[in-house]
Amino acid sequence: MFEERFNRQSFLGADWQQRIENAIVGLVGLGGGGSHIAQQLAHVGFLNYRIWDGDVAEDSNLNRLIGANENDVENEAPKTEIARRLINGLRRNANIAAYNCKWQDDPEPLRGCDMIFGSVDGFAQRRELEACARRYLIPLIDIGMDVHSIGDEPPRMGGQVILSMPGGPCMSCLGFLNERVLAQEGERYGDAGPRPQVVWPNGILASSAVGIAVDLLTDWTRSLRDVIYLEYDGNKGTLKPHGRLQYLERRSCIHYTVEQIGDPSAMTVVDSATVQ
Amino acid sequence: MQLRILRALYERINEDLARSHEVAFERVGFVSAKLGNRHSGEPVVLFANHYPVADQNYIDDPSAGARINSDAIREAMQVVLDTGMGLFHVHCHAHRGRPGFSSMDLDETPDVVSSLRVANPNEAHGMLLLSNDECIAHVWMPGSNEPVFDNRITIVGYPLRITM
Repeated sequence: MFEERFNRQSFLGADWQQRIENAIVGLVGLGGGGSHIAQQLAHVGFLNYRIWDGDVAEDSNLNRLIGANENDVENEAPKTEIARRLINGLRRNANIAAYNCKWQDDPEPLRGCDMIFGSVDGFAQRRELEACARRYLIPLIDIGMDVHSIGDEPPRMGGQVILSMPGGPCMSCLGFLNERVLAQEGERYGDAGPRPQVVWPNGILASSAVGIAVDLLTDWTRSLRDVIYLEYDGNKGTLKPHGRLQYLERRSCIHYTVEQIGDPSAMTVVDSATVQ
Repeated sequence: MQLRILRALYERINEDLARSHEVAFERVGFVSAKLGNRHSGEPVVLFANHYPVADQNYIDDPSAGARINSDAIREAMQVVLDTGMGLFHVHCHAHRGRPGFSSMDLDETPDVVSSLRVANPNEAHGMLLLSNDECIAHVWMPGSNEPVFDNRITIVGYPLRITM
């Protein structure tokens, strides 16, 4: 029997509520993208959350941080607490484990999630998060946006939604992560200035990510079977499968192998000069 | 206790177990697994590869769905030694929904698991039972003689299935 509030989403299948309420979702990053995701997951009915963000609300966040208000800025409220309030306002009985730090500082609870939503800054952060998700066989849904200015042309707003499914193509296989963009990001490190971020593209990307998660769990479309790499064009207002997908040669991953699953382990490196 | 298996691996095992055999009514196999997050209060068993039992290693015994010989156990122990991973005995009850171990499974398979645990006591070993769309497991953790029954198994892929 569905709760009355969920009457309008019964098309998701007979046991959708059980599937969604059993899932443990990890949210890494609770800024412009992650706060949208938290709110929507709570609306849909998710009950088990593990959330990470080490930042507090700042005035410059209020143009996009869902659930935050001016009091939060004055009180320097942690973003995890803003997300907790947002979720609990919609799902009073939600189980929320909040980690007011970077996920790397407390990674063990992340490894226990059924799926992870990544709303992190930069390519290196994405690679780290994906490596963790792959090690522990956890689907990762990554979203992100950026605005680029080239000469006198209007700024170009773009973004992506990627489902990185263990066993399938990773963000490197898809060409989203590569040595060039990582190197460029490294060169800009500490010199980036404020990155353009606004509320509406984050909403579109977050909604798509939540839709993918619901389909993954309920299989309501019975069509979600392949690689998902959506490309957002904020100038045209379109979100569509990325053009690179048609050139994708394989549906498996060459970067993360089955031998790499499990906890990272240290190796003793033998210095050849000391070997007799 | 959490366990995760890629859907591609799950389907490959199911396909293999569905093959007919000259003398056995059903097939069995082994799946390697690595214990992850082992230093937390929430360890995760991560399944890696499937190892079918060779045709010649089945015993003709009409009283059982499948009975395997000592060569099959020795080869399974060798997999444990070679890979450094844990190993789970696996078979399938071909129906939809949550499967259940038979009394014969519960009587006999733990002896197989004991042999695997000798080969590598530092990894999790156990017994895995598939249906057409779900699975359950009993897991013997390192250092424990009692299996963990209360497991949460996720089939990771399209769609994502969590059995609790």
